[in-house]
Amino acid sequence: MKNHLRSLRAERGWSQQELADRLEVSRQSVNAIETGRYDPSLPLAFRIADLFERAIEEIFVNPATPAA
Amino acid sequence: MSYTPAAHRYRRRFSAVTGAYVALIAANTGVSIAFDPPQAVLGAMAFVTALPIIGMLVVIGLYLREETDEFIRDRIVTSMLIGLGILFSVTSILGLLQFERIVGSLPVFLAFPLWCAAWGLTQGVLAVRDRRLDRPA
Repeated sequence: MKNHLRSLRAERGWSQQELADRLEVSRQSVNAIETGRYDPSLPLAFRIADLFERAIEEIFVNPATPAA
Repeated sequence: MSYTPAAHRYRRRFSAVTGAYVALIAANTGVSIAFDPPQAVLGAMAFVTALPIIGMLVVIGLYLREETDEFIRDRIVTSMLIGLGILFSVTSILGLLQFERIVGSLPVFLAFPLWCAAWGLTQGVLAVRDRRLDRPA
């Protein structure tokens, strides 16, 4: 699933490991989510949204929404 | 390679049951050769020797329950399912080869180590794939 995690993380100057530590997951998980290879569960998506103080749909692109 | 706390516990537990299994196999073989025990004792020894295998499955189940990193857990479950697919494929082919009397009988207990080997191999392949696609930043 496409998402804006990498840019949001970059805005805060966090490394993948720092974000992983804040989310209590492995760096591999962060990398897999950022590159769209893994779709997080709803609880993890909410944790990510809470961390960045954004709504889930502001971070993850709804695959059902046609590309602009 | 870093391991999650759940993976550390899994490795420790798995090493313990594997050690028990190896010890029981050795004891079973030694007693069988040295004392030529009756059928009932042989049956009991075979049952007891197989118990660590059940322990290994319990340890695997505990790991899946305790692993909090969902991406890692997903990769493990995927590897297990692919390993199961390999096991079923190999045993189906071997079964039909036996049916046609092309190969002799094979020990059924080899199914578990074969599954473990297929699972481990698959997990290694998936880990290499993920490393190649890794884009650290």
